[in-house]
Amino acid sequence: MIHLAYLDAGSGSLIVQAVVGGVAGAAVAAKLYWRRLVDRFRRQPTDQR
Amino acid sequence: MTTSPAGVRPEPASFRDPANRVFHVGDEVLRGLDEQAAAHWRALTATAFFPALVAAGKVCATEDAPPALVPASAGDPWTAVLRHERIPFVSHPYEWSFTMLRDAALLHLEILRAALADGFTTKDGSAYNLQWRGAEAVFIDIGSFEPVRDGEPWAGYRQFCQTVLYPLLLTAHLGVDFQPWLRARVDGIEADQLRPLFAGARRLRPGVLTHLHLHGAMQQRHAEASTSDVRAELRAAGFSRELLLATVRGMEKLVRKLDRRPTGSHWSDYQRTCGYSAQDRAAKERFVTDALTTGARPRLVLDLGANDGRYARLAAEHADYVVAVEQDPAVVDELYRTLRAEGQRRILPLVLDLADPSPGGGWRGVERAGFAERASADAVLALAVVHHLAIGRNVPLPEVIDWLAGLTAPAGAVVVEFVHPEDPMARRLLANKPDGLFPDYRRDTFERLLAARGRITDRLELPSGTRTLYRTVMGG
Repeated sequence: MIHLAYLDAGSGSLIVQAVVGGVAGAAVAAKLYWRRLVDRFRRQPTDQR
Repeated sequence: MTTSPAGVRPEPASFRDPANRVFHVGDEVLRGLDEQAAAHWRALTATAFFPALVAAGKVCATEDAPPALVPASAGDPWTAVLRHERIPFVSHPYEWSFTMLRDAALLHLEILRAALADGFTTKDGSAYNLQWRGAEAVFIDIGSFEPVRDGEPWAGYRQFCQTVLYPLLLTAHLGVDFQPWLRARVDGIEADQLRPLFAGARRLRPGVLTHLHLHGAMQQRHAEASTSDVRAELRAAGFSRELLLATVRGMEKLVRKLDRRPTGSHWSDYQRTCGYSAQDRAAKERFVTDALTTGARPRLVLDLGANDGRYARLAAEHADYVVAVEQDPAVVDELYRTLRAEGQRRILPLVLDLADPSPGGGWRGVERAGFAERASADAVLALAVVHHLAIGRNVPLPEVIDWLAGLTAPAGAVVVEFVHPEDPMARRLLANKPDGLFPDYRRDTFERLLAARGRITDRLELPSGTRTLYRTVMGG
């Protein structure tokens, strides 16, 4: 099933909602950025081979 | 505006969501739903929150209707058709006062919170999702409800900021009227357009650092990321429905805190300073009452230059619905607050400059209908406004009368007050203009022009002798 978005929610607008959601929200945002960072380092050795 | 042979008129503002579309058939407002939207509707009617909101009057009353009533979209017939409660007069957020927009915002957030608790969300967050029954806000976009997917933030947040929160911040924190900003941009104010105005210490005002600056910066930073990737990342990082509810509650708290800065308004004490004697006022009220009670009961009355709403209230006693327009946002805000406190559901106050009424806006200039397109009143009250237009704004008298005729339904009545050039208020306006600029501003000229456009049925000179009231049946 294709989901038709009424409009573009905006990536930044989605992430900022975690940040404005208090301590629990900030933790979610921190986890998201941490995962991105870890992913970047994990991917690098594979790319060099 | 296109009309199909069967008299079905698609609503020009309803095209952005292909899953459903609004149509007008005669006086009825119908909505066609595709298969998915119809499934969402059936699930919605089975919830506890939705019927409760409808019963409380917070969401427009809606029922199933025969699908054959509206034409198919692009060949496929609609799976279901809904019939909506008719909103007596459609208005746009740039015609609302500050407190109206704030109340509309709070209602939207309340509805979202109730929906989330029951497994639903709204797919958008637009100020245009709301309309009014008098001084009571009502959510009209039934097609916006859909089941919530756990772990996802609110898709309507950006739109809510642009069409609701940023306009409120502009007025609450900077004292700048938001109406011209919203009128100029159908999608609302973007973060980057507002950020330069909130520099320095203004960053610290409630809601500014997070919802405006951080939000704007994040939009730039993540402009390249797809929303589906980000949704998946947020879900994996533990974004929960509780967190979403906390965010919505936080926004409600913020919006409640925002208030309009009081400004000394020229018009807000007009009633006290405008120089009517008690005798004049009583005669004028009697005339207006008689004018509205002669003939059939008016369904819609327009009160142009409503000020504190004295005549709008009088009209509401003899008509189904009154739209009270006034150009000063502060005056409209006062009027709205009073009407709201009274629970008034038949008088709608709107911000509108009579010499610069809302034009058509959005796609092809018809997505948001202009004021003249919407106004077709059974009775128009133009009390003490003609001199402001004719002298204050240099509009030629024949133009003023043509304009009044244009706002009136066929065989409708115009109740108009002509302020003679000798009247103290007219003299005050004339004193600021070069001598001899308005040789045609005379009672006999006005009367002749009025008689050419309609039939003058009643006429009364007020006891002060410097103002005359007319009731004219247009085209009659």
